Amino acid sequence: MQSRHLRDGRILLAPLTIFLLAMLGLPLVVDLIYSVSRVEFRTILSPEFVGLANYRSALTSESYWQAAWFSLRFGLACAVAQLLLGLFLAIFLAPLIDRRPWLLAFLMLPMMVAPALVGLMYRLILHEFVGVVPWFMFTYFGDSPSFLGPDNAFRTLVVVEVLQWTPFALLILYSAYAAIPKDVREAASIDGAGPWQRLWRIDLPLMAPVLGATFFIRFIDSFRVFDNVYTLTGAGAGGATTTMSIWVYEAFFKSGDIGRAVAASMLLLIAAWVVLSIVHRLSERRA
Amino acid sequence: MRSSHLFAALTAVLLTSAAAQAEVTVLGWPGGPEETALRDAANLYNAKEDVADEDKVELIFFNRDGFWDKLQTDLAAGGGEFDLNLLATYAIGRYAPFMEPVELPDSAVDVFGEKVLATMQFEGKQYGVPTDLSLHFMYYRTDLIEQLLSDADWQARYSEIAQERLGKELKPKPPAEWTWDDYQATALFFTKAVNPDSPVRYGTVLQMKNLLFNMMVWHSTARSEGGDWMDADGNITVDSPAYRKGLELYKALYDAGASPKDSLSYEFAEANAAFGSGQVATMLQWNAAAADLNDPEKTPAVGGKVGTVPPPAGIAGRFTHIHGLGLGLNKSAQNKAGALKFLEWLATPEAMQAYAAGGGTPALSADVLAPVAEQRPDLTQLGDYAGQYGFVMTGATSAGALSVYELQAENFTGYWAGQKSLDEALAATAQGMADLLKK
Amino acid sequence: MNLLRWLVFAIAAFAMNFPVLSTLVTSFKSEAEIASNPSLWIHSPTLANYLDVFRISDRFDILHYLWNSFASSILGAGLSLLLAFPAAYGLVRFGTGRKWLLPLVANLRAIPLIVFAIPLYLVYARVGLLDTRLGLALILCIVNLPLVLVLLVAALRDLPVELDEAARVDGASTFTLLWRIILPLAAPALATTMVLGFVYAWNEFLFALMLTTRNAVTTTVGASFFFAASGGGVRWGIAAAVMVLSVLPPMVLGLLLYRRIGRSLAAGAVKG
Repeated sequence: MQSRHLRDGRILLAPLTIFLLAMLGLPLVVDLIYSVSRVEFRTILSPEFVGLANYRSALTSESYWQAAWFSLRFGLACAVAQLLLGLFLAIFLAPLIDRRPWLLAFLMLPMMVAPALVGLMYRLILHEFVGVVPWFMFTYFGDSPSFLGPDNAFRTLVVVEVLQWTPFALLILYSAYAAIPKDVREAASIDGAGPWQRLWRIDLPLMAPVLGATFFIRFIDSFRVFDNVYTLTGAGAGGATTTMSIWVYEAFFKSGDIGRAVAASMLLLIAAWVVLSIVHRLSERRA
Repeated sequence: MRSSHLFAALTAVLLTSAAAQAEVTVLGWPGGPEETALRDAANLYNAKEDVADEDKVELIFFNRDGFWDKLQTDLAAGGGEFDLNLLATYAIGRYAPFMEPVELPDSAVDVFGEKVLATMQFEGKQYGVPTDLSLHFMYYRTDLIEQLLSDADWQARYSEIAQERLGKELKPKPPAEWTWDDYQATALFFTKAVNPDSPVRYGTVLQMKNLLFNMMVWHSTARSEGGDWMDADGNITVDSPAYRKGLELYKALYDAGASPKDSLSYEFAEANAAFGSGQVATMLQWNAAAADLNDPEKTPAVGGKVGTVPPPAGIAGRFTHIHGLGLGLNKSAQNKAGALKFLEWLATPEAMQAYAAGGGTPALSADVLAPVAEQRPDLTQLGDYAGQYGFVMTGATSAGALSVYELQAENFTGYWAGQKSLDEALAATAQGMADLLKK
Repeated sequence: MNLLRWLVFAIAAFAMNFPVLSTLVTSFKSEAEIASNPSLWIHSPTLANYLDVFRISDRFDILHYLWNSFASSILGAGLSLLLAFPAAYGLVRFGTGRKWLLPLVANLRAIPLIVFAIPLYLVYARVGLLDTRLGLALILCIVNLPLVLVLLVAALRDLPVELDEAARVDGASTFTLLWRIILPLAAPALATTMVLGFVYAWNEFLFALMLTTRNAVTTTVGASFFFAASGGGVRWGIAAAVMVLSVLPPMVLGLLLYRRIGRSLAAGAVKG
């Protein structure tokens, strides 16, 4: 019986495993080879071994670190804002949503829209002469800020990302909030705890694991952002809005320096792996 | 890899669209008059009786953003997705390894002239048929400039602003006589932030997005002050007074609020939208925008009030960046014979006249142009401007040229945005260019 | 207090849906009105932009883009279910690969996918998968797998193991069991997962941008073409109409199935 289980289990997993090997394993091998080679579009089939030169070149490139710093700041700012805003909306609107679940549909809708298209939409909305936001600012305040200029591009991008993905945090946190048993809260009320105390002593501690998971997911997604930034501002003035993903994309297509682009993406993979294993440790220690 | 056949077969069965594919596929420059013109020419060609079904032409257009990146990877992959593809003077060096030189009939010289054919040559070989010539105009609002040239109050205020901002004594001049100082003073005069009485919000609109094409627009400024990429010995010469003056001009205008606040994210489309809104007095822009902007149906706010002259002059004279667009033969083309036939036809007066009538901007010899000259008076102007003011930076047709534009875009926009000092931006550019142009 | 809640809800819903709303408004304005009136109010509504979208179909074939999106998303989502469903059952009932496969796939979600884009591009170029809907669908499957696997594992875990045991006693093999008993029971979960996978695939941009040029261009990429759709002025109205058409299918799915989608997303996030 046991061996049949083992055999059946393997058969059940085989298609997925083979698919992953082909679609991810093979590229990874190509990545590894190219990342230690000098290779251009012309010499794509005859890479020339150069050791770690590509890694050195990426790591000593100022723009690479600029992109890493941008992505890190962007990921953190977005994750914090989404978590706080989502938490506030989830708890504050819970009485409404409890009775009318269809309200959630409207709050979820932004998640259904392709981020790339959201970026394009803002290109229209924020244009000084045809966009509605500058028009509104000019009409009611007499002036409109430079939304995509060097001073504000970062903030504008964060707002764009936060407005689209707060719904995700809201949804998860609302489910977690709704799942807290009624009697726990009632018991606290009877003990004389006010709404704030209930929030701090009951709700938030019970939601802590979900809060952590939400933060992590939002951070990762914002850190690896490509679509909306690429369509809205591209690399940005002097590379000011170059994210890690855009950096790799541009290094590959624009400079044609395949080895360096691939080395940079391998570094990204290693970084992701390190972060993941830290998070994994942390969550295991808690469990 | 054997599996390619399996995949290909599987794909074919499962997924290819049922649409019949014409045999000669042409990848063109999307989204502008070049596209409309190429369509007209292709329709004419396909309707000819002596063109066999398997040699009929199908056009493909891809996104303008990232066009050259995409083209490079597709060519390098050798997939033969298209038989003919777009070439540009500034990209010939990079794509030549994946293209096949073509022999054009001798009559092509009579149609285009040697100088124009040369925009499609690399290392002495002809790589394509030149279909369009691109250069820059200084666009201005005729109504505003006329008033500036006649209204005494405006003239006094103009001189005041020139004295205050530039420290120079200037009087309004007709745009055809402008130097960059005149342009700067005019731009400041028509800027609300500088002159609250200005009838429009901005004096000019600059395209300052981190994008290679914007560098070409800016180059006309640097060249007119005597700037070049490198000298005859191959030394990089961007760290020069000419480059500094041109870069500082853009920054000064942007910092003074003479160009829209989001100019650092503007390219062709955004700049046209700004100028077309009627809130901008002047614009340095590609010739391709002229027809639509001056058409009252398409651009009600400014149509009929748009003038065009060559870019302003600097100490070295008046210059405009020029480059040719054309079509060349993909090395992995699947129907080379058919593709060559179309190319040869393109180099005939019949084809080029249809192309011109369709809105394209070919540079043609006077004889060939004559039948369509009435319909397209601007083509005569275009030819004149190109002959008198056209320039190509030294090294700008080499294999590294595109990357040089990218590099400059990154560094110069960094300076305009205030992230880098002028010295840092120029030093980084010079160093990168030395690497790129050495190869 | 309730009034305040409604107010907050209204503001949040408006702000978060603002890009789509505003684009919808723009799409019903004429070109001349867009240039003269950027406000949210339409003076003279027109369908001209939508008609134009279809009129210029020889240049930008919107139906072709929509079909590409549809075909590759269905295929990509379907394939991920096909691969993940048996695997999820194996993971849940036999514990095979629980140590390595589940974490590996779940962690894919955290890896910037650009890492795989370059080699896949080069491999695709060699085997002729570039610019095909199949090639794109294979990638979309990878994009979907983390969520799909986690959701299916969660769903199968909730099924009572007694059913399996009863069937085993009757002598059913693992595969008949999976097909006859588990599949019908898991059908609702599979359907929701399919919808989610479809939406994710529809909205994918990076790979669609890199791996397609003509035949398989999807609507997210195609819509960006419209920003270069004319020489002089950008035809913002047409661009807006195209974007509205492109976001419609996933948004309609979202509105119709918000409950299931919401529950699945929440479950997937927490369990993944």
